[in-house]
Amino acid sequence: MNQIFQIIVSGSIQGIIYALIAFGYNLTFSTSKTINFSLGNVMMLGGVIGFSLYVDIHSGNLLGHSYLFPIIGVLVAGMIAGTAIHKFAIEPSLKLKSEFTWVLATLAVGIIIKNAVEQIWSTGDFRFPSPLGDVPFRIFGTGIYPQEILLVVVATIIVFGVESFKKYTIYGKAIQAVSEDKETASLMGIPQHQVVRISFILSATIATIAGLLVAPLTFVSASMGSSLGIKAYAVSIIGGLESGKGLVVGGLILGISEFFTARYISSGYKELPGFIILILVILIKPNGLFGKTMIKKV
Amino acid sequence: MLEVKNLVVAYGGIVAVRGVSLIVNPGELVAIIGANGSGKTSLLRCISGLITPRSGEVYINQTLANEIPSHKRVSMGLAHCPEARKIFAQQSVLDNLILGAFVRTKKEKMSKIHETVEEIFTIFPKLKERQLQQAGTLSGGEQQMLAIGRALMLKPQTLILDEPSMGLAPVIIDEMFNVIENIKKTKTTSILLVEQLAYRALKVADRAYVLEQGLVRLEGNAKELLINPEVKAAYLGVNAH
Repeated sequence: MNQIFQIIVSGSIQGIIYALIAFGYNLTFSTSKTINFSLGNVMMLGGVIGFSLYVDIHSGNLLGHSYLFPIIGVLVAGMIAGTAIHKFAIEPSLKLKSEFTWVLATLAVGIIIKNAVEQIWSTGDFRFPSPLGDVPFRIFGTGIYPQEILLVVVATIIVFGVESFKKYTIYGKAIQAVSEDKETASLMGIPQHQVVRISFILSATIATIAGLLVAPLTFVSASMGSSLGIKAYAVSIIGGLESGKGLVVGGLILGISEFFTARYISSGYKELPGFIILILVILIKPNGLFGKTMIKKV
Repeated sequence: MLEVKNLVVAYGGIVAVRGVSLIVNPGELVAIIGANGSGKTSLLRCISGLITPRSGEVYINQTLANEIPSHKRVSMGLAHCPEARKIFAQQSVLDNLILGAFVRTKKEKMSKIHETVEEIFTIFPKLKERQLQQAGTLSGGEQQMLAIGRALMLKPQTLILDEPSMGLAPVIIDEMFNVIENIKKTKTTSILLVEQLAYRALKVADRAYVLEQGLVRLEGNAKELLINPEVKAAYLGVNAH
């Protein structure tokens, strides 16, 4: 019984990591109908930069300064990455006649980031000590690391923060207007290019924050983001790309099913259930479990 | 105040507008009439900056606007109520109206914006009843009211209306033209009205332009155009002889 709880807790936390990246996909998709496929590697960049600003790579000891340094570091890195990806990968792609250039362009950016980190930084795996310590809490025998709680709290704040921003502020409504109809939005005086750019900056910054939060739970390495990016994409398809609730549910389904498979079948088949669910969802409900059905009268 | 000089609009090899010049003076209601494909909508889209002209100039309040992107033209007091309404179907009626005042929110307090919302509600009481409803669930006529209301939220100097009667029942069309006449009476907003219903448009307009295959075929006082034999034959369904 205990073991099942542990699997559910650990799986949920893994799922929330997926959901957070998927949320980043959702942000840019809603404004520009494009997805930044390099987001997994942007997350890795957050982990690596956070690590470099906090831990000495050679000795593995802390550099000794405040945790604020890596926090500011990843925020700045996220904003720069988001701006650069929008300017150099998305904008030129959208100008072309070919419809899906942005897929290749953002995938390429991901590969470039990964290889650059391997060349400049390191190809090794490093442990990132959590600022909250590495002693798990025990709740009815189920272990939870303080870092995991931090991750859940920050992820919740980010998702609810962004969602209420969209719902309750005039700028949020403007973002939704752009996602619904770009041309009419610009007739309202809404600068649509700026809205799209902001969505890229926001999603990249969320990814680098996710990287910093995840790093102490996994290891920091140049490859930490590759499969995560793909799985988060699967999550957004399962949940429905334009549904915030769907992303969380999709993330939990994928995370928990992975941990169950790893425990009761074999860790070699860990990836299997997620992709089976993905295929089933595409077959049965192609808009995702919580995909929006459009109400529109013309 | 709006002025267009020798405007040419082309989509690839197809020329939709072949050198049109027109002017809308302050407080004036100017109608553009013409058949399908005569270039009316292209002309309007060019004025509000949704498409770039091949040549010619657009002046908003005597400022050359050719290089100004569409969202900045809105801050110059130009509201464009597009063809087929284009309301934000997934947002509430109230949010649609507030979005119409997006550029005003930067300078004015939210209370001012809500005052304008109330003004719109007195023009269109139906919208007040349905203010919290998702705009996509409104009927065609209500959606058109919302689209006009949203454009008026800007408190525009110049209002562009692209076929407000499209797809509406005759009773609603009457209501729509009443509203247009009332906006005209305030004398604060100049209106550029594009309509298929030539008779109705000429009735309310001060001046009018008749567009044919991308060219201004006739222009002048609307009341005179109403009795012009050529206009009668081609657009009013009356035999000239």
